[in-house]
Amino acid sequence: MAQSNELTLAEVAQRLDARAVAAADRLYVAVAGGLVSDLLSYVMANGRPGQVWITIQTHPNIVAVATLARLAGVLIASGFQPNQTTIARADEEGIPILVSPDPAFVLAGKLWEMGVR
Amino acid sequence: MGDKPLAHLEYPVLGRAYFLGGRASTSLRRALLQAGVEEDVLQRVCVACYEAEMNVVLHARTGYMSVDVWPDRVEVCVTDHGPGIEDVELAMQPGYSTASEEARSLGFGAGMGLPNIRQHADELAIESKVGEGVRLVMTFWRGGRRDGSEQ
Repeated sequence: MAQSNELTLAEVAQRLDARAVAAADRLYVAVAGGLVSDLLSYVMANGRPGQVWITIQTHPNIVAVATLARLAGVLIASGFQPNQTTIARADEEGIPILVSPDPAFVLAGKLWEMGVR
Repeated sequence: MGDKPLAHLEYPVLGRAYFLGGRASTSLRRALLQAGVEEDVLQRVCVACYEAEMNVVLHARTGYMSVDVWPDRVEVCVTDHGPGIEDVELAMQPGYSTASEEARSLGFGAGMGLPNIRQHADELAIESKVGEGVRLVMTFWRGGRRDGSEQ
């Protein structure tokens, strides 16, 4: 659970006007930083627990990566939509997926301004 | 020490099934948590196993992951039936990849897999027979690396 001074994924979603499409019951976790990448190996090597991952990848493998790297959730940029298989697997693993029409650069900027480091 | 591991786990891995990739490693993560493997060791095993699993998915026809949990270490063996690696030394270089365009467009095959494995496993042995397949053996020491260095 989040400390009072930490942003949760739910607050991030609200302030970004991003929509939760999977594991919406797991949004009340603290966000501990973030990373932006569309290369899965990069995220495996550099992702840290609690981070939010901004990507335009939408296939089910993003759920495996987020699970194994213990990320807080995945934020899909530029209006890309995950398919039903991805959503089902994210629900199963408890990995929240947020989607936003904003591009990754804008999302990262907004998160930074919110104090996510 | 007994000659039987505390836990023995096996997972099949299907070649070309990009979207099933990572399932074996995710199941393994759950099993290792239950087996009481320490968080830092677990994390390293997960990164290395995910990469090894995806290598099978991207390059081989079929394979399996076999894991033994010992009191002092976790041993993972990933064996596949596939084309093998022609030049292991070259394949170990960051950025070198023979993955298809399709795989790359999905964010795989950036030539980071084997380097990631080498970085996260304490010991790594690769046996390759061109036209037959690859056998990867990884050891992860519990309670710190044996060479005394930190990650």
